[in-house]
Amino acid sequence: MTTNDILIKVENLKKNFDSIEVLKGINSEIKKGEVVVIIGASGSGKSTFLRCLNRLEESTDGHIYFNGTDITDPKTDINLHRQKRGMVFQQFNLFPHMTILKNMTIAPIKLLGLSKADAEKKAMELLEKVGLADRANSYPSQLSGGQKQRVAIVRALCMNPEVMLFDEPTSALDPEMVGEVLTVMKELAQSGMTMAVVTHEMGFAREVADRILFIDEGIIMEEGTPEEVFTNPKSPRLRDFLSKVL
Amino acid sequence: MIKILDWLKQLWESFSHEFDFVFIQGGRYQQMLTGILNTLKITAGALLIGVLIGIIVAAIRSSYDKSRVRRGFGFTILKVLNAICKIYLTVIRGTPVVVQLMIFYFLVFVSARDGVPVAIFAFGINSGAYVAEIFRGGIMAVDNGQFEAGRSLGFNYVQTMIHIIIPQMFKAVLPTLCNEFIALLKETSVAGYVGVMDLTKAGNSIAGRTYSYFLPLLTVAAIYLVVVMILTWLVGILERRLRKSDH
Repeated sequence: MTTNDILIKVENLKKNFDSIEVLKGINSEIKKGEVVVIIGASGSGKSTFLRCLNRLEESTDGHIYFNGTDITDPKTDINLHRQKRGMVFQQFNLFPHMTILKNMTIAPIKLLGLSKADAEKKAMELLEKVGLADRANSYPSQLSGGQKQRVAIVRALCMNPEVMLFDEPTSALDPEMVGEVLTVMKELAQSGMTMAVVTHEMGFAREVADRILFIDEGIIMEEGTPEEVFTNPKSPRLRDFLSKVL
Repeated sequence: MIKILDWLKQLWESFSHEFDFVFIQGGRYQQMLTGILNTLKITAGALLIGVLIGIIVAAIRSSYDKSRVRRGFGFTILKVLNAICKIYLTVIRGTPVVVQLMIFYFLVFVSARDGVPVAIFAFGINSGAYVAEIFRGGIMAVDNGQFEAGRSLGFNYVQTMIHIIIPQMFKAVLPTLCNEFIALLKETSVAGYVGVMDLTKAGNSIAGRTYSYFLPLLTVAAIYLVVVMILTWLVGILERRLRKSDH
């Protein structure tokens, strides 16, 4: 692969919360079309790392390049950059005062300048894909957790992002709803979307990931293909972690 | 039975005679109408200014409280603005509204001839302080995830506030806000201190002219009551409409 294929490049990323060092220097690259799954124990810094990619957390030190632009530079228009990155949260974070359709169309209309008709057409197509077209005029409170998360995913897709960031998308769901969300994510991965996913769903990681990052103590302790990570873990920390979650 | 009817008839006659004397003769009802109009004008104007100031002050104060990056040029500006807001809140909430009104009328807008715009301004500034704290509470109560979701879609800070946070905040604070509006309406009854012919002043002036206090004062009280009831009713309708999204 040439360097042109690198979408996100992270250099020596550090993040402190007051005096606590959460990220101690992360170096990584995410290529176009790649699905990277980030695993690690809770408190290891994996969510912080993902949120830094969108600057929802401001990094303390280091650089993040997105298509070659340093987004940690204060001069970079972060709002414009965030438009190109879809984010899905553990708690869904749908806007409760808007219908599903409005949730999905408000950003494309206000930020991309789409007409209401165009935005709604696109939103309906996406809702159709995830089987929720009939809920377009419902409010988030009328949906189940799994439905909310599917809406949250397609809401992000309405902005035509170049990469999708998932922050523990299934952790707040009842077990029987995890599958429907993972299915949507799998389809998204198969369609060629670049994805960075923080998750505890090891089955999903094994099946869908191109590469797995194991974050521990604020650094990438180990990385590799699912095959390498799951069947032949090198570091004792990873072996220990896998013995607990598998 | 006939006695009761007679008594009622007499009562009605004395009432209509009193009413005619107090309100109709000398066209004194016109004073009442001017009073109602001025009270409504001042309340509506002050409400508008109060909500505007309230949103701005609440936005500044809550961004300061929530800001996680606590250094750099932007934060310094926020810190200064927050300090100004705090002084405003302390001074306005720490002094009686009637004193503020007189300060504005007799010391600040010395050349003002009409007291109504001055009263609108003074009550607006006053109400803004209370509304600001109501709004701030509302903004702080909206889940931070809402803010992050807005920002992650690419909205800037102000857009996130306008499209996502403030509509949710407004719904949460509506009952408290209605309380503040009711209080404001009744507080405007001190506008007479700066020579504004408001509802209270009109009633008082008619009472003074006719030496009849019963009807003018009870009429004034009844009108305030009716306006408050209408306001409460309207807010109730608004609340029900906003509640459409939670089932």
